[in-house]
Amino acid sequence: MRNANKEVLYGLYDDEEVLLKAVVKAQHEHRTIMDVFTPFPVHGLDPALGLSESRLHIAGFVYGAIGTLTALLFMTWVFTRDWPIIFGGKPYFSLPAFIPITFEVTVLFASIGMVVTFYTICGMAPGVTNPTLDDRITDDKFCIAFDVTNADADEKSDIQSFLSGSGASEVNTKNI
Amino acid sequence: MDQLNFTGKHKTVLIGFMILGLVCMGLTFAFDDELHTRFWSNYLHNSVFFTGIAFISVFVLAAFITALAGWHVIFKRVWEAYAQFLLVGLGLMLLVIIGIWGHFHHLYHWADKEAVAADPILSGKSSFLNPVWYTLGTILILGTWAFFAWKLRQLSLDEDKNGTADFDHHRRMRIWAAAFLPIAGFTSAAMVWQWVMSVDAHWYSTLFAWYTTASWFLSAVSLTILTLVFLKSQGYLEKVTFDHLHDLGKYMFAFSIFWTYLWFSQYMLIWYGNVGEETVYYRHRLDHYPVLFYGNLLLNFVAPFFILMRNDNKRKYGTLVFTSVIVFFGHWWDFFQMIKPGVRITAMEALAHHASGHGEHAEHATEAAHHAVDFAMGFSIPGLLEIGTMLGFLALFLYFVLNRMSKVPFTAKNDPYWEETTHHVVEIHDVEQVLGHH
Repeated sequence: MRNANKEVLYGLYDDEEVLLKAVVKAQHEHRTIMDVFTPFPVHGLDPALGLSESRLHIAGFVYGAIGTLTALLFMTWVFTRDWPIIFGGKPYFSLPAFIPITFEVTVLFASIGMVVTFYTICGMAPGVTNPTLDDRITDDKFCIAFDVTNADADEKSDIQSFLSGSGASEVNTKNI
Repeated sequence: MDQLNFTGKHKTVLIGFMILGLVCMGLTFAFDDELHTRFWSNYLHNSVFFTGIAFISVFVLAAFITALAGWHVIFKRVWEAYAQFLLVGLGLMLLVIIGIWGHFHHLYHWADKEAVAADPILSGKSSFLNPVWYTLGTILILGTWAFFAWKLRQLSLDEDKNGTADFDHHRRMRIWAAAFLPIAGFTSAAMVWQWVMSVDAHWYSTLFAWYTTASWFLSAVSLTILTLVFLKSQGYLEKVTFDHLHDLGKYMFAFSIFWTYLWFSQYMLIWYGNVGEETVYYRHRLDHYPVLFYGNLLLNFVAPFFILMRNDNKRKYGTLVFTSVIVFFGHWWDFFQMIKPGVRITAMEALAHHASGHGEHAEHATEAAHHAVDFAMGFSIPGLLEIGTMLGFLALFLYFVLNRMSKVPFTAKNDPYWEETTHHVVEIHDVEQVLGHH
């Protein structure tokens, strides 16, 4: 596994508002959060963690544009050069007839391209097992995790007291 | 400031524009052909356009109330005021009706008894396309719309004064709103057929009502954005945030695509089917009105699609106002494109008919009229007189609407969604913003 032997100290919160406040507090205290896990998207978490806007949609636009061009150029080539057929008395190059297919291929390219890009960025692929800190973070718990692999005892207890002090209902350590 | 102070400068400016509109209409009338085609088609065009905006306002209010939406409540007084314009719209359309009965204009081919009798298609449609139905339909349906607009606003205003904790007013509003939706769906289609589609009396499209209503919707949304930005610049509605405007921007973006979808669907089906009596509509526009035809797509699809695609652009006053102006003008242009070519043919045929008298020449003259569609200001493209007329109607609309608005507070303090709408968040850029709410 990629991140084997990493020691993680994490706190579980019952409520997303408490979590959000804890994240803001951690940022004010200049603590380095390894990651935050939530069962659903929490409004405001991205700016609180200082994450910049995703560029996935820019990639999506590029894939879509490639799809548009592919469909238009391919159909144009097929129907004007490679295998011209007259349909319903229409000219070989019949733009209105191409539009629905162009639209579909644009959507197809954009969606598949974005999914593949997203999976690649996240390191997800068939056969990959991702260690979970706690099963309940996919259900009703909100989690802030700190990497304490290289931390000494003082630092660990400091993080521990930060987690419980900011409203965590549980604090655990796990090697992943 | 919770109540609009509509006085002095703004009134003067709007009255000024109304006078400009009247002068433009007068000039159009004076330098027109003998049937005053340009004048009457301008009048119909603007009346239908602005009445439609009022209709969409009450429709959207009803839809949002039924869908339990809350985000719009902070500016719902604006739409409530817009919707009251339906009563003025009824007055405006009455003049068109008087024109039909008095034969003051030749906007509609089906209003000409002789032509209908000689024409199997028109006489086949005459059970629906006739002056009686036009009159009854317009008065009854516009009256119904205006009634619902009044009822929803009256309940909303009464809720301010006598609202209770069990939200009894809102419950009643939901019943009225839900009742209005099917009525609005069917009646708007009937009105669009009679007011707009029947200027091309031989032609029909089953998609037309959707397409026209989408056009109205976009005009209403873009005008709403402009009104909100104006009111904010005057210091009102300070709780209307970028998040509310962002959502309106999304509506403008999404419905521009929806409009294009309908525009294209109508075009492609007719193009593919290749049935002469359907294709004549587009053939005529492509051959003689290319600026109108392609400009329509440029203004209403290309511009809003590419400008509003980026998320950030829906959260900037400048871009949003710029796009709203384009879209508003674009859909005014769309209605121009729907009405003018058809009216022009009808008028030319009538003129040719009058000139040649009755008999065998008549048919010949009609034939000639179809080909005599050279460039003409006010038909091939909107001229300055059309712009002036539109500004006059816009000023009338705004004068009436702002006047209605100034009578009541903006805050719907007893609306069950008041808390929700004041905390409406689409996108958080600053985490303190969300923590501050709690």
